[in-house]
Amino acid sequence: MVKKLKKYFKIWWMMSRNSFTVVIGQKLALSVFLIGKIFRFVFFFGFLYFLLLGNSTLAGYTSNQIIFFFLTFNLIDVITQFLFREVYNFRPMIINGDFDLVLVKPISALFRVLMGGADIVDLITIPPLIFLTIYFGALLHPSFLSTLYYVLLLANGFLIATAFHIIVLAFAIVTLEVDHTVMIYRDLTSLGRLPIEIYGQPLQAFLTYLIPVGIMISLPAKAMMGLVGPSGILIALLVGIVFVFVSLKFWNYALTKYSSASS
Amino acid sequence: MRKYWSIFKISFEQEFAYRLNFILWRVRNVFQILLTYFLWSTVFSNPQTQIFGYDRTKIITYVFGIMIVRALVLSARAMDVSTDIAQGDLSNYLLKPLSYFKYWFTRDISSKALNLIFATVEFAVLFIILKPPFFFQGNPVALLAFTLAIVLAIFIYFFLLFLISSIPFWAPEIGWGSHFLVTVVIIEALSGSLFPINILPLGLQSIVMATPFPYLIYFPVEVYLGNIGGGALIGGLMIAAAWTGVLWFSLKFVWQKGLKVYQAIGR
Repeated sequence: MVKKLKKYFKIWWMMSRNSFTVVIGQKLALSVFLIGKIFRFVFFFGFLYFLLLGNSTLAGYTSNQIIFFFLTFNLIDVITQFLFREVYNFRPMIINGDFDLVLVKPISALFRVLMGGADIVDLITIPPLIFLTIYFGALLHPSFLSTLYYVLLLANGFLIATAFHIIVLAFAIVTLEVDHTVMIYRDLTSLGRLPIEIYGQPLQAFLTYLIPVGIMISLPAKAMMGLVGPSGILIALLVGIVFVFVSLKFWNYALTKYSSASS
Repeated sequence: MRKYWSIFKISFEQEFAYRLNFILWRVRNVFQILLTYFLWSTVFSNPQTQIFGYDRTKIITYVFGIMIVRALVLSARAMDVSTDIAQGDLSNYLLKPLSYFKYWFTRDISSKALNLIFATVEFAVLFIILKPPFFFQGNPVALLAFTLAIVLAIFIYFFLLFLISSIPFWAPEIGWGSHFLVTVVIIEALSGSLFPINILPLGLQSIVMATPFPYLIYFPVEVYLGNIGGGALIGGLMIAAAWTGVLWFSLKFVWQKGLKVYQAIGR
């Protein structure tokens, strides 16, 4: 098992280095995307700041808590984009039939198409984001247990995000469409930029249980605020595991539908 | 005129060739509106709340107004121009007896027509489900000014898109990057799609209002709501018209310069 993990880490490192080299070769494009991502963060952060200046609480949460929800969303969003950027390049691979070349290689095809192109632009933004999350997290004065729950649920959030990306990949095979599917995932998760309580029913239930955006993003932040008990943590972990299981089943089903078109 | 009518029809039908693509694009728009709607709905959960010059009815009308104005102003195809330039496909159009600008403007109008139809249906469905309070503008002057603001916004966006799409004449590798920066990030935030500009402090508001971006969404919706009238309305329309002129002349200048360096790479 350890040997296998080592092998896959080595492959990931090699693929990521290649991907970084390509992006670094286009310095202008790298700068434009980096500026764009920073601007997007600053604009929404600024919006929340000015909104909360005029209205000190939102859905019962203080300004620092709302900002912490937003930072937790960004942390999960940016790290998953950094790891799973290759998902955005999957459609051409399916349409051209180049996915055949992945299938014949002696490594997991899912690993290759999921993690084959880490994004250096997102990597650059991760350290300042972690710093901001720790800074605003500390302002909430969490207990040791709340922090532990937060880290645990954050890991569970990444697990759910991984499952989402696997489902997007499977959809790409079944429908030959991935561009909008991945963007719909992004739009859905962006509903978690703010506490899930702002949404009315049945949207709130839909976002909590059916499409577990609430468990993925809102719950870790709420755990940090001491609002989640051990039963909530257990349910969240269970949902995470079930979601990954379902996504893997769907991926295996999708593989049986791959027609190797155009190859 | 007949050839542009044909382009309009072909472009309209082309959208239906990728039906799932289009439907998913519309679904995305609905999600964005839901986030904005529920956010403002929570902020104004108390019907007596009055902040940033809005009451509950007006802010919800603002959110629903965004749906229609976005479909009219921000639905466009002209971002594909950058690919034409970067891949050398522009040469095909330069040889044809048609105006390249008019070709894309016609395609934009076709896209707007289709998106408007869908946005109207979504508007109706969300209106029935959410039953929001809505402000109906009955003043003919405000409605006329709103129409004029929309027309100017359509031209401003078209010229902006073309200007950004001209960047690949000099830097083909940042075609999508420049669209991401300007249309996805800057326009999304500073046009008023994400939040009404008047939640910003006065100094920042003045800076943003001096740019062309708020005249795309924020200004037309505010005109509809009747929040801008009299001298401010005339002033706003004049600034929008000035930006239309400035962007048109800038585009003509940049396009001529671009064509001189165009090498039809990839052809």
